Amino acid sequence: MSLYIKNIKKSFGAITVLDDVNIESNKMECIGIIGPNGAGKSTLFKIISGNLKQDTGNITFNDMLINKLDNEKRARLGIAQSFQKNSLFPEMTVKESLMISCSQRYKISFNFFTSLVKNKVINKEAIAVATDIGLKKYLNIKSDELSYGLQRQLELGIAIACNPELLLLDEPTAGMSPAETKEIIKLIKRLSNKYSIIIVEHDMEVIYNLADRIYVLDRGVIIFEGNPIEVKNSKLVQNTYLGIQ
Amino acid sequence: MKAVNYNIKLRTQLMVSLSIIAIVSNIFGGYFTRFFIAEVAILSIFAMSLDFIASRGGMVSLGHAMFLGIGAYATAILTLNYGINPFIATLYTILIGIIIGLIIGYFIVLLDGIFFIMVTLALGEMFHAWVFTSEFLGGSDGISGITRPDISFLNIDINNPLIFSFYVLIWLIIIFLFLTKFTDSPLGRSLDAIRQNSSRVSSIGGYAKIYKTIAFSISAAIACIAGSLYVQLNGFISPELTHWTVSGEGLIMIIVGGIGSVSGAILGATVVHIVQHELSNIINWWMLVIGFGFILIVLFMRDGLWGLLENLQRQINIREKK
Repeated sequence: MSLYIKNIKKSFGAITVLDDVNIESNKMECIGIIGPNGAGKSTLFKIISGNLKQDTGNITFNDMLINKLDNEKRARLGIAQSFQKNSLFPEMTVKESLMISCSQRYKISFNFFTSLVKNKVINKEAIAVATDIGLKKYLNIKSDELSYGLQRQLELGIAIACNPELLLLDEPTAGMSPAETKEIIKLIKRLSNKYSIIIVEHDMEVIYNLADRIYVLDRGVIIFEGNPIEVKNSKLVQNTYLGIQ
Repeated sequence: MKAVNYNIKLRTQLMVSLSIIAIVSNIFGGYFTRFFIAEVAILSIFAMSLDFIASRGGMVSLGHAMFLGIGAYATAILTLNYGINPFIATLYTILIGIIIGLIIGYFIVLLDGIFFIMVTLALGEMFHAWVFTSEFLGGSDGISGITRPDISFLNIDINNPLIFSFYVLIWLIIIFLFLTKFTDSPLGRSLDAIRQNSSRVSSIGGYAKIYKTIAFSISAAIACIAGSLYVQLNGFISPELTHWTVSGEGLIMIIVGGIGSVSGAILGATVVHIVQHELSNIINWWMLVIGFGFILIVLFMRDGLWGLLENLQRQINIREKK
């Protein structure tokens, strides 16, 4: 997997939200993006996932320029995302939700003469993903009947069920209790052995626990890049982001 | 709106029950009963076409009578002007429905809620206004003299109401089987997912627009079949069939029957048409009663008659377990 984000600039009217942002990754790793409120994290996330277009700059994924591709096409190339607010199929069970995602990967979604739930390959895959994300016990429970923490896990599961190369996670621990946060950190750690991950997160501890490399954004500009220890020890980050004088 | 219903057992039981009632009534009924059964079967096909896109893809159309009209007028023109066998003409209308459905669907399926409803309403009314003034289509008088398929080589006279009712019932059963197969398929499930969360389907690489366009065109083709059979039943077509109120009645039928269950649309069409017919024989203000009944169903029976049957099935299952 290779991802090159070059000279990304984005403005809303007179306000510049991102200015000359550069991020690159050409190996399996977990990249964390942090920054205070209004730093431009969410805008950057939306630009990478294809939900928003940048004004200038290029995004190259696996040697392919993907500037003009929307999120649907980027997903087909192998960029999956999980959302800050749960975005599930509320009336479907855990298994059905994962099967829908798997069916897109196996390109069988145009088939209208065979039963999806009776498809052995898709069934097996969905159960494997459910096991991976710790939801095997809840296969037949409807998404909207799950607890918030389990819904967050399913949110991740739907993203990984389409077998991406790059997983974009937007604040995966948002709204979680400390116990649920611990569980999701464990889960993402496990996933980071299988997928390249870009994670946008408010909670510094979560990022320090998960990321191999961290980009620190402030007012649309990347002010620091390094591993968690370097970020922790950086006076610049402490001054601008953590407010420590 | 509730999810697409995957209760295969109840779906089949209901369809089998309704089919048996229709077949027995057709065999033992008189001329009027047989005509009435054919009419109900055609309305059921139309209701299924509306139910199909409303429950799979979340597209509520107030312009579907346009496709009913396209099927009817196309059959009239193909049979009268080109001498094509009405059965073949029905097959042609499927193709016409798919093509027009794909073209229209491509531009409108991504519209949400009220915008989709209003665009379909506008398209339907444009079509209605056009057929009303078109000399080629007979204007307000419409077209008459349309015949039924000639199967005399089988020694069967399809003009016999008994035979024609069976002919329409066969179409109904074929479409029912197709839609039930579709409902459980990957594409059917993806459409259900789109109704629940369209942006999520896109984010996992689903072809949301294409899925919805396909569904819209299939629904248009089914409505065209209903139009083609309607014109063969009555022998004439007039612009009234394309009015938006016909689409509105179709929506009432699927809400009464229960959206998303396939068989519910047939049950709804049957019940609404029978109630309409019986009430109009008794009182002049029957529409008031129908309207009141519809409001009660929307307020207190969101899953329609299907919901009642499902509850009944659940109670029976609980008793059996005890």
